[in-house]
Amino acid sequence: MKYSIFSIATGLAALALAAQAQGTEHSKIFAALAMTKAQESSPIPTDSGVFLYDAQADDWHRTGPVIQAINSIATDPSDPERIFLACGNGIVRSMDGGETWRMTSGWRESDFTKIAVDPVDGGNVYAASVWGVSVSRDGGASWKPANKGLAEKYSRTIIVDERKPKRLLLGTADGIYQSNDGANTWKPIRTSPKLVILRIARSEADLDLWIAGTEGQGVYISRDDGKKWVRTAEALSENNIYAVAVDPFDAANMAAAGWGTGVWVSSDSGESWSKRGEGLPSQNVTSMTFDPNQSGRLWVSTFEEGTVYSDQQGDNWQSGGLMGAYVYDLGMIPVK
Amino acid sequence: MRLRTRNLKSRILPLLLAAGLLPHGLRAETPETFVSDAELAIQFRERCEYVIDQVVERTDPTNTKRGGMFTVAANLHRGTNLEWARAHIREANENPTGAMFWMHPMVLMMESGRGVLYEEDWAFIQELWRTYFPYRGDTENHWIMYYASIYLASEMFPEAGPEQWYNGKSSAVNMAEAKEYISDWIRITTSYGQGEYDSPNYIEEYTRPMALLAGWAQDPVVRQQGKMMMDYILLDYVVESLDGLYGGAHSRLYPRYLLQPSLTAGAAHGWLFFNQGEYRANAGNTLIALSGYTPPPILYRIAHGRADEAYVHRELKRTRWRLRNAGPDAFEIDGKSTTPVYKYSYVHPDYILGSSQGGLLQPIQQQTWSLIWREDDHSGKTNTMFGLQPYSSPFEGTMYFGADWDTVTDLIARSKVDYDSPDKLEGGSPYEHVFQDESTLIALYDIPEGTRFPLISTLFSRDLKNREEDESGWIFGQGGSVYVAYFPFAPGEWKEVDWTGLLKSGAGAWFSTNFEELARGSQCLVSESLKNGYIVEVAAASDYASYEAFKSAIRDLPIEYKLEPTPTVTFTNLSGKSLSATYGGSLSVNGARIDPTKWKLFDGPYSKAERESEMLEIRFGQERYSLDFKTLTTETTILEVE
Repeated sequence: MKYSIFSIATGLAALALAAQAQGTEHSKIFAALAMTKAQESSPIPTDSGVFLYDAQADDWHRTGPVIQAINSIATDPSDPERIFLACGNGIVRSMDGGETWRMTSGWRESDFTKIAVDPVDGGNVYAASVWGVSVSRDGGASWKPANKGLAEKYSRTIIVDERKPKRLLLGTADGIYQSNDGANTWKPIRTSPKLVILRIARSEADLDLWIAGTEGQGVYISRDDGKKWVRTAEALSENNIYAVAVDPFDAANMAAAGWGTGVWVSSDSGESWSKRGEGLPSQNVTSMTFDPNQSGRLWVSTFEEGTVYSDQQGDNWQSGGLMGAYVYDLGMIPVK
Repeated sequence: MRLRTRNLKSRILPLLLAAGLLPHGLRAETPETFVSDAELAIQFRERCEYVIDQVVERTDPTNTKRGGMFTVAANLHRGTNLEWARAHIREANENPTGAMFWMHPMVLMMESGRGVLYEEDWAFIQELWRTYFPYRGDTENHWIMYYASIYLASEMFPEAGPEQWYNGKSSAVNMAEAKEYISDWIRITTSYGQGEYDSPNYIEEYTRPMALLAGWAQDPVVRQQGKMMMDYILLDYVVESLDGLYGGAHSRLYPRYLLQPSLTAGAAHGWLFFNQGEYRANAGNTLIALSGYTPPPILYRIAHGRADEAYVHRELKRTRWRLRNAGPDAFEIDGKSTTPVYKYSYVHPDYILGSSQGGLLQPIQQQTWSLIWREDDHSGKTNTMFGLQPYSSPFEGTMYFGADWDTVTDLIARSKVDYDSPDKLEGGSPYEHVFQDESTLIALYDIPEGTRFPLISTLFSRDLKNREEDESGWIFGQGGSVYVAYFPFAPGEWKEVDWTGLLKSGAGAWFSTNFEELARGSQCLVSESLKNGYIVEVAAASDYASYEAFKSAIRDLPIEYKLEPTPTVTFTNLSGKSLSATYGGSLSVNGARIDPTKWKLFDGPYSKAERESEMLEIRFGQERYSLDFKTLTTETTILEVE
């Protein structure tokens, strides 16, 4: 652990560091997935839902209802009892830590990919979907479209800027868009590549550092808080990159992965990259995250061949379970 | 419904006959065949009862693990095998699955079980609705089945609170949401055309939910919506049907049904609604038979009374919603992208030749054009011809599905196992453009280098007899009482229809069983020329003195075509019309350009509907039956006799 990062670590990373010091977990790894490998005679996966990793049991436990096509999960940073599921059916919300659930969206909303909650005002909830953005001003009880300014509505990822919660970054089929007014209007970021943005991640240790995975043009990075984006990891410049992650304990450590690429890591903030594919059960990676409770641990989900983790920058992969799963999103959520 | 009769002259003759008021010499004549409305209703009800009889008779009351909710519903309706039914409801629902395909049979069972099932049965059923969270799906048929089902289920328990439903919404909220969706689906369908249009397979995925609403909705608005949409869907089918077989271009078809049109749900509906073809067990028919829905007699009259003359029927449909790669022709409806589909069918007493314009109009299972012909007995017959460019690409997959570029093709092929096969028999292609005028069809192809399956394929079925490859370049054949001529622009090879490579477990077996029965003996003409095309010319055998006379007439037809740089053809057909078409362009007939962009939703002798009208006028003879979905009224009017 590099103790110097204590001075710049914020948000979840700070929580995680404090928790690690106390030996308690304040966030958990989640996997939003469908069990597709055994799916033969039907378009319906054999199982699906959101699973949380129990470090003590070294196992995954379901949270939330069994619904086909849950693509992601988010919690309110200021109240982790408020949980949101991004589903094919719409938005499903729990207000009591997962005891009860309600589908709060209606027939006009569907096929959500990612949800982001305003860390200051939990009444503002934002959801990306393949049909565009939906916004809630009442804590997720009701939703309305928020697509003004978008050239392409198809959206895969959305992030609230925790320093300026009215600012959001959205990954669309036309590149990265930004809103400075809580999703009322959107504008394209000029330096963003004009193509499908599959994943955006932000460093918890250095909030000016962002990284994005694209469909067909590899990895882009921004070191000035999302204003200017440049290509990084040249070896991946023609790949579909489904997974990007930055170490919450050390912003210099980051990783990118996609279809057929294995895992690529950088330990110098994206200046140089090296492949860490050996030992992976598959080179087809769909999702990835650094562990907020274990410094340096990188979790990687491969397409249907299981989830693995490494404590050595991608060397020496260990089995993490979820064999047969198609993990749409792997990340961390605060827990109470 | 209002009945407004303007003129009763046409009814006077039968009345006089019935009253015995004609001169003595005429009294001994047999009346002309006329099936009265009364007789139609009786006959339809008899077929419905037969359907229910068959389901009940097939019930095995000793096996509580098998049957299904359609069978349970039929038994509950008849009051038979009740203990089996109650046990089977429990056994079949130990681990609910299937989403909307679980929901709508459950609702049918529940509606049929009113007053029959016990309190503990209802408690069990309600617990299922509390705990099983069905997926709403990703297609139009999924959504309408989902919302019709949750509407009716909620209506049965109007006071149920949010804690009693899987989605945490009260019955009142569920009903309001479902009602809004159903109304919106009807508005879009009757304004812009159905997205999952004219599928001989999936027709029942629409008639099932509509019949549920027509039969059991307590809200008279929803009930009327169900009835009127049943009429609408059946009209859409009957004007392009031949003895119950659904002709023309289709949004979705499975290969086994492509090869034997008599096996489709559409054909099963043809028997139930119009007494055409043979009875086949069909779950949709079971539901409809139980629902009490009765089709308006005019549909039967169209099915049976239009046998004398051929007609052109045009339709405007639309593609499924496109979530990306929408393309230049796309337009938005309420924020979602779609693209027009222009359907053209030539409906002849002996055959139907129909087409859409080509391109990627539907994911996976599109049939861009087809010919079906009349046989004395359709059963077991591959009385069809069609062509395709077997396209498979994540470009298409991600256009219509939210899955990732690298996984979408694989995931599609988990259930649609032939999607990624060069031997497949269905699917649209961006490199296929089709043009049609009456009994002449022109298909042109311009396939880029590097395309996954760089070939085109045309089915010549085993029931297209007397096939001959003529020195003129034409290929001739005879199907039933129809002559077919096919002129390829590039050479090809004959290849047996072969899906045996797909006959593996799981989806392959489900998709492809009965290969010997369905496909053996049929061949495809496969051409690997990237720039390509062909002409199909069809004629009734009765129009020619002999097969030789037909072939001779065809040989005399002038054809000019070139494939470079762009496939182009000018052809004079058997009717003497000069047809010109260019890949990427439009069709000209006798020098006049055909512009389909102004086509109506329905435009033919038996139906008219303007775009965005939310209305449909069904026509037969003097009779006009109008559906107005804005006011939810129907009206029958009778025109003056000229």
